[in-house]
Amino acid sequence: MTRQRLGACLVLLLLIVPAPLRAQGVSGYVEEKAFGYAERSNSRDPWALGWGTLFSKWEEKVGETQLTASVRGEWITSDEQGSRVFDPADRHIRRPPLSVPDLWLRLPLAPALDLQLGRFQLGWGKTDGYSPADAFLPRDFSDPFSDEKISLWAVRLSGEDGQFRYEAVVSPVTTPWRLPVLGSRNAPLTAAGVPAGTVVQEVDTPPPWAGFAALRILATFGQWDLGAWGRFGVRPAPLLEFRFDRATPGPTGLSVPVERRYAREEAVGIELSRIIGSWIVRGEAATLFSRDRDLGNALIGALSAEKGFGDGTLLVTLAGNAITPPVDTSLLYDRAILPALITAWNRSEEWGEWKLVWSAGLSHGDGLLKGEVGYNISDVWKLTIGSELPYGSEDGPFGALHAAKRVHVALRRSW
Amino acid sequence: MILTAAFLSTLCAAVGWGADARALLKESENRHRTRSQQYAGELTVVNKDGKVRRKGWKSFREGYAGDARNLIRFTDPPEVKGVGFLSLARPGGQNPDQWLYLPSMKRERRIAAQDRDASFVGTDFNYEDMEEFDHEKYKVALQGEQSVDGHPCYVITAIPLEKGGKSVYEKKILFLRKDILYLLREDLYRKGDKEPTKRFILSDLQQIDGHWVARKMEMSDLKKGSRTTVLLKEIAFDRPVVANRFTLQNLNREGGD
Repeated sequence: MTRQRLGACLVLLLLIVPAPLRAQGVSGYVEEKAFGYAERSNSRDPWALGWGTLFSKWEEKVGETQLTASVRGEWITSDEQGSRVFDPADRHIRRPPLSVPDLWLRLPLAPALDLQLGRFQLGWGKTDGYSPADAFLPRDFSDPFSDEKISLWAVRLSGEDGQFRYEAVVSPVTTPWRLPVLGSRNAPLTAAGVPAGTVVQEVDTPPPWAGFAALRILATFGQWDLGAWGRFGVRPAPLLEFRFDRATPGPTGLSVPVERRYAREEAVGIELSRIIGSWIVRGEAATLFSRDRDLGNALIGALSAEKGFGDGTLLVTLAGNAITPPVDTSLLYDRAILPALITAWNRSEEWGEWKLVWSAGLSHGDGLLKGEVGYNISDVWKLTIGSELPYGSEDGPFGALHAAKRVHVALRRSW
Repeated sequence: MILTAAFLSTLCAAVGWGADARALLKESENRHRTRSQQYAGELTVVNKDGKVRRKGWKSFREGYAGDARNLIRFTDPPEVKGVGFLSLARPGGQNPDQWLYLPSMKRERRIAAQDRDASFVGTDFNYEDMEEFDHEKYKVALQGEQSVDGHPCYVITAIPLEKGGKSVYEKKILFLRKDILYLLREDLYRKGDKEPTKRFILSDLQQIDGHWVARKMEMSDLKKGSRTTVLLKEIAFDRPVVANRFTLQNLNREGGD
């Protein structure tokens, strides 16, 4: 199916899905999203682009066993979508038109012990703004302003014993981070020291098969929540290898192949959370060990404070890395924005909700302002309007995205 | 409050102040006490402009009043499907521990006591309204009698005690049906308000499994002009409780209940 046909199908579905289409255990949505840009970083960047999504999820319980499967069809007008129709483990560099974010079953081995198998999403960490426990999990950065996690093929054992909860995860297959098209407005590579005019040729380097293993323990004692975790294996965020040795001259400059490699990394971390008056204060610290020459080690801390204001929540997070990495931080992705101060305010209204996020990079004085308003037209129709405005020094992780300033509008039909 | 209508009728009296009211509430608790309750709720939220939104949840409760444990799992609409709420009573009349599970985050979020005035998932209930009533947290007094929907009722004032933790409300006025000692109405006063801020009405009483239960509950926000109605279906009392239902692990079970 061509992109145009897939897009037409999504538009049609958005219009014709009967209301209310509800089946036992089936949910989903159709969404059409449009982006408009004020700048371009090069002539290949479009002024506007469209993003259509059809998502359907099926959930069933057979006895005590939970079965869940979901499928997503997408149509993107830009190069963020690859030609490969289906990528079952999201191991390739571009988004496929079809994917399976969920395909898992959960078996109770005992009343307080579950085994989950298949493809599912993990959510770790207690600090919503930036969490070192969560940061290593693979994300799709095709849209650099969204925070979309990629599901993992994994086995998870989780249980509870009194005040303690524990979770062991083994992911036998590396699911890598997906990066934007290198050299586009979403990944301009200005901070990487690449000469102006250089054209990069991304090589779809296969990630290693081995994944990672992780263990996490949580405990609740009154107003305190405590946690500790450890993991080892392949770090899913890639390290870019600019192969200047294989560069060829092009019309505007060098044409350089860029390969990806994946380092092994071990990490341990702790997390603390406490209710203090009307605030929930959280702290996380993690030590990350790598023998890789470009990655190096890291000592990452995050401190956040959250307060509710009626139907709104204010969350302030300060995060940083005490160890300066050997290469430009912006090339390390899972820690690229550090040090940063992230302030997020969201609020539910009778008509919908809104959120404002200000991420300030503390190294270069750059930052990102995000705002979004969602209006509930009905129980199943929703209109969302928003904007992302990176600003400041182009040497910083946010300021480098200055050409990606944009507004967006989305219409979603759920069922 | 919303988790069980029978519960709401068992608002117990506090010590010392208003012995008659306490005796009535204790008797109400004795009559309507159940070990567990579950139901499917159909919610209708109507805002001041008349715009209607519908939601659905499944509610489970184990224990009673001051030792109650509650789990709510939203089933509808799609944007809140799978959202879970767990409330565990704490000893000594302290505010219960509460968590909200958000499927989009794949983890739970703890609710601070001061957040209890926030709207519960877009309804006219706040997090305190979702708590089970604990008699140790109130002093009560019998104010007189008044008819509600043609039923003579005792009118009882309940004022939160400081030791029970901070309350959103300064005062609650309870209307207890005289013949069956069942709560029919509750007027809720926020701090400094002369008029009730919210009104909770229970109606369509029926006997199920030998217990009186209101099949319709309505919370009106008198200041905002909105209201949330809950119709209770598939009500069951004292059924065997699934092991570990009221745990954080179960709250985090995607697709679980």
